[in-house]
Amino acid sequence: MRTWAALSPALLLVAVLFGGAVVLAVGRSLGVQGVGAGDGPSLHAYRELVRDPGFVRSLGLTLYVAVVSTTLSVVLGIAAALLLRRLGAGRRFATTVFQLNLPVPHVIGAVAILALVGQSGLLSRLAAQTGLLDQPAAFPAITFDPWAIGVLLQYLWKEVPFVGIVALAILSASGDELEEAARTLGASAWQRLRHVTLPLLLPGVLGAAVIVFAFTFGTFEVPLLLGPSSPTVLPVLAHRRYTDIDLAARPEAMAISAVITVVVVLVVLVGSAATRRSIRADAP
Amino acid sequence: MSRASRAVVLLVSGLLAVACSSTDDGPDAFPEVGDWAQVLADAEGATLDLHMWGGSSEINRFVDEVYGPRLAELDITLRRVPVADTADAVNAVLGELEAGRTRDGAIDLLWINGENHATMRQADALHTGWSESLPNAELVDWDDPAVALDAGLPVDGAESPWGSAQFQLVYDASRTERAEIPTSYAELATWIRDNPGRFTYPAPPAFHGSRFLTQWLYELSGGAETWTDGFDAQAYEASSATLFDLLEELRPHLWRAGATYPNDIAALDRLFANGEVDLTFTQLPAGIGAGVEAGTLPDSARPFVFDTGTIRDHHYLAIPVNAGEPAAAMVLANLVLAPELQTVKLDPTNGWGDGLAIDVARLTAEERAVIDEVTDGLGELAVPPARLAAVRLPDAPPELTDTLDRDWQRFIRDGRPRP
Amino acid sequence: MSALHRAPGTEVADAADAGARGRGRGPRWVVLAVTAMLAVLLLPFVPLVLASFAEAYFYPQVLPDDWSTRAWRVVLDPDGATWAALRDTVLIAGSVALISLLVALPAGRVLGTRRFRGKRIVELTLLTPVLVPAIAVAIGLHVALLRLGLAGGMPGVILVHLVPATPYVVLLTAGVFANAELELEQQARSLGASWWQAQRHVTWRLLAPGLAVAGLFGFLVSWGQYVLTLVVGGGRVVTLPILLFATASGGDTAITAATALFHALPALVLLVVTARVLGSGAMTTLGGAR
Repeated sequence: MRTWAALSPALLLVAVLFGGAVVLAVGRSLGVQGVGAGDGPSLHAYRELVRDPGFVRSLGLTLYVAVVSTTLSVVLGIAAALLLRRLGAGRRFATTVFQLNLPVPHVIGAVAILALVGQSGLLSRLAAQTGLLDQPAAFPAITFDPWAIGVLLQYLWKEVPFVGIVALAILSASGDELEEAARTLGASAWQRLRHVTLPLLLPGVLGAAVIVFAFTFGTFEVPLLLGPSSPTVLPVLAHRRYTDIDLAARPEAMAISAVITVVVVLVVLVGSAATRRSIRADAP
Repeated sequence: MSRASRAVVLLVSGLLAVACSSTDDGPDAFPEVGDWAQVLADAEGATLDLHMWGGSSEINRFVDEVYGPRLAELDITLRRVPVADTADAVNAVLGELEAGRTRDGAIDLLWINGENHATMRQADALHTGWSESLPNAELVDWDDPAVALDAGLPVDGAESPWGSAQFQLVYDASRTERAEIPTSYAELATWIRDNPGRFTYPAPPAFHGSRFLTQWLYELSGGAETWTDGFDAQAYEASSATLFDLLEELRPHLWRAGATYPNDIAALDRLFANGEVDLTFTQLPAGIGAGVEAGTLPDSARPFVFDTGTIRDHHYLAIPVNAGEPAAAMVLANLVLAPELQTVKLDPTNGWGDGLAIDVARLTAEERAVIDEVTDGLGELAVPPARLAAVRLPDAPPELTDTLDRDWQRFIRDGRPRP
Repeated sequence: MSALHRAPGTEVADAADAGARGRGRGPRWVVLAVTAMLAVLLLPFVPLVLASFAEAYFYPQVLPDDWSTRAWRVVLDPDGATWAALRDTVLIAGSVALISLLVALPAGRVLGTRRFRGKRIVELTLLTPVLVPAIAVAIGLHVALLRLGLAGGMPGVILVHLVPATPYVVLLTAGVFANAELELEQQARSLGASWWQAQRHVTWRLLAPGLAVAGLFGFLVSWGQYVLTLVVGGGRVVTLPILLFATASGGDTAITAATALFHALPALVLLVVTARVLGSGAMTTLGGAR
């Protein structure tokens, strides 16, 4: 009983604020309250969405951005952690610098990435000064581009250190004994990585991957500042509909945010199940 | 611990209780404009929330430093709230009203015009019948349709003019010859084909982008006169079809082959200043001096207008129906019309360069002389006032701008098939 | 998700020191690769710093033709918007951190030290609001908060910032309790310490660093919020991210850059200070600071 009493403040806060948000959003997406009320619940907003090729393309772009940035963050993050671990003196300093980006708000990252890799950004200017390129348009268009490369770069800039630090923490906590044992048993570097290090990292990094996916699936400000006008990602689309001067577009905004929520919750559940399985498989 | 948890339980149950009720106690009493002494008395001690587009640090500073101290003398604290887009503020008011918050709203005074005005009027979200009775309203030429009609919709005392603007284009004299610049939309189309990748425009509903397209529609539909009597669906269908055909045809010649558009005028200015495109826009009648001074535009930038004309309009201050401090809002709306402050605002060296909202003919000779001094000193960073006046066009009816914005987003931005 | 349960501790730093004692600098290619990697991560700050000190900084200038402190003077102007925004941001983030910690202490202790039926569900329930995007929460709660009269003000903004912050702080606190050797508290009691002495000299010492990090985490989650503040604050609550966006929409790159750096700086200082005090591994889970 005392257990639940201690948990109740936190759970109530989540239930009321977060649960409330979800219930209200879903309710309004079904036309239950607010503008569009009157005829009782209807799937009108969802039908409109599914019929709208813009929404479908937007969903596709959002999934693409989230999957690619999550995969690359995990791969590069693990690589960075392994690299940092091999560093001797100066590792402490390097690790501190490595995580400098973590607390930097994403808005700033987006502004900075644009100033770096925009067509008239610093890299393009350096190319012009060294005579490599003669005008901004000659620099590859990787901001506001249909492949959302600028958006991906910004995500990697933030999330590679995140995954890297998580991986580093796991590696440090587990020590070198297993790897040493594998080495004395004659395992090659690749075999040690494949059969010792990666399985060790898997549960923790999976958790981190779920966080990265959820985040890159749902951010608004980065695609707004670095992404193409159309198609855009779901969060930007939801905000566009929500702030449309035509209030009738609001149920659609709610429906989009319900879709975002459902996708993220699904990924969390799958990720959580996978993490548990990997921990179990890991157990001796 | 248990105390903390009890506090949260209390908080939460409180929330639940109030969530089911509504705070509709009827609107605040709206002050009588005729009794100005009473308005001033009501305004004393108020904190005035002025919501305005906050993208220009020069304009922000101007508002803080010019109006702030004047209001402080009247015991009013000015709180300027920067918004990234006026539509956000409009939406905030509509959201408040939708939720039943009909008094003590977040916004006391709103910088607004055009479609945003129309939207708020449709929703009965603005106080009406006050602006023409302000003491300084007698300096305003209310018979001028450009003042009395905001985007074709009668102002009805719901808005008080703050300044005036006229659409202009900007080229860079160090890159483009004066003789080469287009003088009409027809010439611009040719120019775009001849200079692939060197032109784009802000994505509507961003203000400058909408206006750019509206004027193009004017030219294709036989001129602004077509729209003076309001929105004509038939004329729109015909001329917008031509416009969208043309935009489709020009798309591959735009910056980034029309696959993406800058979000707003700031983004277009940045492209222009860095030499990614060759043209940008401005709305400032006194020219781009402030932008050059701030280093956002190169000093070789020069504004110009099409021979076929560009839209001139006014921008206004309006009071939402649920404003908490309507009296203080009126005081500021009145203050900005003072001849001295209108002149300070006109002078780009003070950071703005905004057009006048008052009628020069109603001023004293000395006041006129100061204004002439400012306009004479503008140089080539401004289009001469006579030239601006000669080509000015009336603003479009809000339905036209709204429909055009929506269709552009569907057919051009999102590439949906046209019917 | 076990990464979340890992206590923010000092393992990384300890191991780093151990490594440093063991070998030299490490293989040359590793040093080069790490240097290159860190350079790439820091590179985006370079154009911001240059732009913030430049006047008319147009393509193809790499170093500005005209250096200027104008943008910094505007941003640091004592009467300007930046300090007011900083104050409000700190106020909001501080309240969020404090409230989150208060709620997290009982819940974290239970989650970190006990096994009980339904624990897994509780953890998942707590995790979801962290992960579900702010835009969905903001849009969903906006109208309800308007009805309550909480939208458009600081209390409403603090309330919605709690949605992503509190669960994270709870999960971190659980990690702190799980890793702390609370048996020491019992031992101190059995050695004759009073309950209060045990709390003060043993338990608090054990928990304080971890709790500080958890609170800092809540602070940073709130610090970077944009959408929640935009929608629920209705523009009236001007935090640093809101100010930065409004500035960016104005096109003055120097001021935008200076505002961005001003916004990044406190977070960086906090990070470095915490890393100094608690060891560099303390930031393990801070990647979610958004």
